[in-house]
Amino acid sequence: MRKVSAKNIQWLNKELPILESEGVVSPETADGIKSYYSANTASGMHWAVIAFAILGSLLIGSGIILLFAHNWEELTRPTRAILSFCPLIIGGLLSAAALMKNGGPALRESAGIFHALAVGASIALIGQTYHLPSNVPGFLLTWSLLVLPLTFLLRSTGALLIYLGLICGWSGNAQETYGQAAGFWLLIIPSVARLACMIRSDRHAPDTLISFFGILIALCISTGIVFERTVPGLWIVAYSALLSGAGLLGMYLYKDRDGWTNPPKTVALIGMALLAYLFTWAYFWDDIGWNHIRNSWYYRPWGCWIDGAVTFALITAWASAAVKAFRRDSIETILLAVFPILGLTCFLLSSTVSGTAVLNALIFNGFMLLFGITYIVLGCRHTKLRQLNGGMAILSLLLVTRFFDEEFGFMARGIVFIILGGCFLTVNLVMARRKKQIEVSS
Amino acid sequence: MKNLSIALLGILIAVQLAVPVTMIQGKEKILQEGTLYKLLTRPIDPADPFQGRYVRLGYRNDYIPCPADHKPDLRYNEPIYALIVTDDTGFLRFIDWSHEKPATGNYLKTRYKGIRKDWQQNSKTRIHKGIRIDIPFDRYYMDEAKAPRAEVLARKATRSTNCWVNVRILNGKAVIEDVFAEGQSLRDLAAKKD
Repeated sequence: MRKVSAKNIQWLNKELPILESEGVVSPETADGIKSYYSANTASGMHWAVIAFAILGSLLIGSGIILLFAHNWEELTRPTRAILSFCPLIIGGLLSAAALMKNGGPALRESAGIFHALAVGASIALIGQTYHLPSNVPGFLLTWSLLVLPLTFLLRSTGALLIYLGLICGWSGNAQETYGQAAGFWLLIIPSVARLACMIRSDRHAPDTLISFFGILIALCISTGIVFERTVPGLWIVAYSALLSGAGLLGMYLYKDRDGWTNPPKTVALIGMALLAYLFTWAYFWDDIGWNHIRNSWYYRPWGCWIDGAVTFALITAWASAAVKAFRRDSIETILLAVFPILGLTCFLLSSTVSGTAVLNALIFNGFMLLFGITYIVLGCRHTKLRQLNGGMAILSLLLVTRFFDEEFGFMARGIVFIILGGCFLTVNLVMARRKKQIEVSS
Repeated sequence: MKNLSIALLGILIAVQLAVPVTMIQGKEKILQEGTLYKLLTRPIDPADPFQGRYVRLGYRNDYIPCPADHKPDLRYNEPIYALIVTDDTGFLRFIDWSHEKPATGNYLKTRYKGIRKDWQQNSKTRIHKGIRIDIPFDRYYMDEAKAPRAEVLARKATRSTNCWVNVRILNGKAVIEDVFAEGQSLRDLAAKKD
């Protein structure tokens, strides 16, 4: 069902009698329009209300944590114990009210966020009262597991984002403390399942888009943390498969949409641009592959198997997304699909043949150049400033960095800078004019 | 569906409440029934965004003595049981370790943290002390205003006298009871300077 704001409905109700009296529409048509809007549209929730509700509960929850953190020495141990239950009980009551009243997004989100923070406040106060040791991974894991069911019961995106933040924090701390955090892959599964449900019900809904962003960012952060890194450079294959797979999934689910309305593609393109840029440096490709397996006390012998399994799973996911989304006539899908193939090829080259670092760096320089030019062309063709500027940013990043190479003289660098800046301004000006002309003519 | 959701939320809230209850019960049991030990410490003062300001407790005796040629078959962070006794000076000392839970004597559940070597200024050499272990009671939470002052007072105190922590240990788990400097509780010491 489409959402129409109350303000627009009000305006329509005022306009229809005027149009009817002026003879623009017949009374039947006016009634038809009225009944259409009352039957086929839902009133749009005012986003300011939801935003303030979320912000309010976030501030109150954080405030309670800070108040507890002050450490009220005057309070006895039993008083502190009772106090530690209070936020949890209030959070529980709020969540129950949201469920019983079939609350809207504002109530569900604020209850979810407050309840999620209350769980943390409660455990933290007990830790403070009994001087529990600095077991940060244990604290974060307990907190996240107790928050997880809220994401399903309340359908709260805020609680889901808190959960994702907690498991990301856990992965970092667990990797540091225990030497491995493979459990992250188990912890992320429920959120992916929740996202799948959301996509099935309404893939364009704002909470689906926000959750998609959250999960992808969590995956991008934690994949690097959780990797055992026993096989140097395997992460290159894993990350390129993850990002390319996400981009292709975005093309499949959201077609030609971009920016905020296509989270997987947006995250993939930004991630790919950054990675491709890193890979343009030759030293990135030194000492890579299974001939350089690390086996000091810090690394676990079975680490390479976990890393291998994760990489294999990501490549499989990428292949499935490629099968669904690949279109020979779409340069975007070709670019996205080719990225992990290049990553894997260069990784294999570095692992088997020595002295290929410069060749790999050159391959990615070429890829980045193509990447930038493609988006400039696409931006011009579809009159999309975002694509055009994105392409130019990629190209400038590549060129500007190369200018700092001492092999180029100051004058050459200066001239290229000026030309590049001039190109930016001219193309933007032409595009802005063309866009304006299209808007006027339409 | 709505009733099912409410029932599930009820179960979740019960589980959420059960977690702090279990934590409180476990810690109270150690405080009531655990054996009291004293361990020499050197406090420093950091902060935790969730739990507040605390005095971090560093320990000089965080090792189990063993000969330099003895290579323990342990991985970094591997859980072990450290056997404890009270020495002639009245402070806690670790004497041995085992993979299995000891059948007799008091012990502390801990983790292996590598080999402990001390730098000897006179001979300019590193002396092997034994295997280093994690001391699972390294935080003493205090009022946010008192904690930094307590840290300064404790540091001054350790120059002339001993600073120690009173800890209760039961079945391998420990809970801090109090921290002492200049023979009195760190809380009282910090409060006096108000």
